[in-house]
Amino acid sequence: MNDNDTILLDHGAGGKVSHAMFSELILPLFDNGLLAKQDDGAVFEVPAGRMAFSTDSYTVDPIFFPGGDIGELAVNGTVNDVAMCGAAPLYISVGLIIEEGMKVFDLKRILQSMAGAAKKAGVRIVTGDTKVVPRGKVDKIFINTSGIGLLPVGVNVSGNGARPGDKVIVSGTIADHGVTILSEREGLKFDSDVKSDSAPLNHMVKAVLESGHPVHVLRDPTRGGLGTTLNEIAVQSTVGIRLFENRLPVRGPVRGICELLGFDPLYLANEGKLIAIVPGTNANKVLDIIRQDEFGKDAVIIGEVTDQDPGRVVLETLIGGTRIVDMLTGEQLPRIC
Amino acid sequence: MSLTYNQEFKDPKISKALVARIREKSTRPLRLMEVCGTHTMAIFRYGIRSVLPDTITLLSGPGCPVCVTAQKDIDAYVMLARRSDVILTTFGDLMKVPGSGASLAAEKAKGADVRMVYSIFDALAIAKENPNREVVFCAVGFETTTPTIAGAVLTAKAQGVDNFSIYSANKLTPPALAALMETDGVEIDGFILPGHVSVITGLDAFAPTFEKYRIPSVVTGFEPVDILKAVLKLVEQNESNAPRLVNAYTRAVADAGNPKARVIMGQVFEKADALWRGIGTIPNSGMVLRESFYKFDAARKFDLSIPDTREPTGCDCGRILMGLKRPDQCRLYKKACTPMHPVGPCMVSSEGACAAFYKYSR
Repeated sequence: MNDNDTILLDHGAGGKVSHAMFSELILPLFDNGLLAKQDDGAVFEVPAGRMAFSTDSYTVDPIFFPGGDIGELAVNGTVNDVAMCGAAPLYISVGLIIEEGMKVFDLKRILQSMAGAAKKAGVRIVTGDTKVVPRGKVDKIFINTSGIGLLPVGVNVSGNGARPGDKVIVSGTIADHGVTILSEREGLKFDSDVKSDSAPLNHMVKAVLESGHPVHVLRDPTRGGLGTTLNEIAVQSTVGIRLFENRLPVRGPVRGICELLGFDPLYLANEGKLIAIVPGTNANKVLDIIRQDEFGKDAVIIGEVTDQDPGRVVLETLIGGTRIVDMLTGEQLPRIC
Repeated sequence: MSLTYNQEFKDPKISKALVARIREKSTRPLRLMEVCGTHTMAIFRYGIRSVLPDTITLLSGPGCPVCVTAQKDIDAYVMLARRSDVILTTFGDLMKVPGSGASLAAEKAKGADVRMVYSIFDALAIAKENPNREVVFCAVGFETTTPTIAGAVLTAKAQGVDNFSIYSANKLTPPALAALMETDGVEIDGFILPGHVSVITGLDAFAPTFEKYRIPSVVTGFEPVDILKAVLKLVEQNESNAPRLVNAYTRAVADAGNPKARVIMGQVFEKADALWRGIGTIPNSGMVLRESFYKFDAARKFDLSIPDTREPTGCDCGRILMGLKRPDQCRLYKKACTPMHPVGPCMVSSEGACAAFYKYSR
């Protein structure tokens, strides 16, 4: 297949053309023995124990953006979802739904990103599916990924595990991905170097869990942002969460763009950040471990878990006032003036 | 220019010192109204109500442009969206406002060509790209946005973009304040006047209302230090019984405003009576296109026979906008009316009093 070719419905019809696309384009990029067998599914050994299994679909617009693309996002997203269960992700499946007319060059870029992301995370793409649908039936490309990982013995992290006295750690600056996508999608030209934070977090999680420090909750605050994810945890754990505005890590340009458009960075998506809720006595040590990871350098403790107002997240503002941080309702829309 | 140049106006030390001075000076109950929706959001977002003494009650006024857009105008936008020959362009926060039977977001989901823009000039560009379609812009806003809209209409005329038009629901702030003061039951001891609007109007536009009603009035910005400074000035004026009209936003607002912007606005628009949602008709508070720009007036260009519209039963948005009720005193609040299912515009607009109250202070 040449880069200048376009994807035709034939590429998804299951015949020779489909087979050629798989063997010439996909297989070399995702190269591994399990996929190369080309069976209907992958067969692999697993030791006795607990597994984590997660799936997600990616429909981001635009498909290429500063800091990444839909392919990288699809791999990292599922790697992170598995990792947030406390598991080490091992195997990924990929479902591609491609719009007729897509340039092979663009598809190749996306597949290369997926291969690169899988390599970085140390996971293998072992099974998948490709469909091509008529022009207009899908927006360029949608990708579904599922992932399987193994849980180390003794690891037990869950959204219902937060306890009063715990500290809330975030692994870096928030809202970078949300602001990047918004700026690109709406064609807003900001003179800034804002880019997506898409990244695999499984190595960071592994380091934290292997340190032996107890971890109560791990979550990656993607859509809905930090505010919505913390609300979910507060409800699941029946605890209150108190945040401190002066500790929230937001990059200057991201803050500026949010102020301009009337967006709250607490509700914008992240694709390479995690929230770790850990006992107060261990918090600084866990923070140090996270900071040693290449994607955790800006990690900070942003708040604490309390027994006040169960199910609610409260923010202590810069000026010492307090306000509720509620879940995001619908999509944030830019204000009028 | 750094995007965060205004950090000093968020300074916790300065803010806390201002709060301490407000507490020290304030001896009697005062009802202060922030006129502008952006102020409302900033007040809730920074938890300003939670640090003020019990003597100070902050009321949200009629300065959220989405909130005061009449249901009839929303219905007109929906009718325009339903036309197959029209591309309707709008600012984002108008998308979800319910009209009599639908919102623009709902029409878009049904297939209407409704496009969200960040500037009216984006709408003009869409018109140039689609010469065979009619492009209509939902013109909503106060003095802050009206000059840009006027500029776009002038550009359309100069460039001969005949498939472009606006449906104006633009409004003026000072007449609303005067109308407020004439309403029975309204008790206001001070106005926190809108910073963005004042950049255009200057302080002078508020002078007649101030002279007539002698209500302490302070123009200010949108950071916590700005707002607390304004509150302190209003407390001091009330305590010393010496009302003044003060510009506390001198880094952005000249007393005379922006004359050039006002000239452009006056070239394209003229004043007319306008219907304010929940409040009623306020004389000379609206901005409609002058005769020489009629061909850019969607209300004239298209046959829009809008049936009589009725505001939702039980919705207290109007009384809330006049400071007569708190959001939680509306019988629909948190029951029939939530951000998921907004009944009134104060709940749907991101700058609406009810949305802020629901989001930040339950």
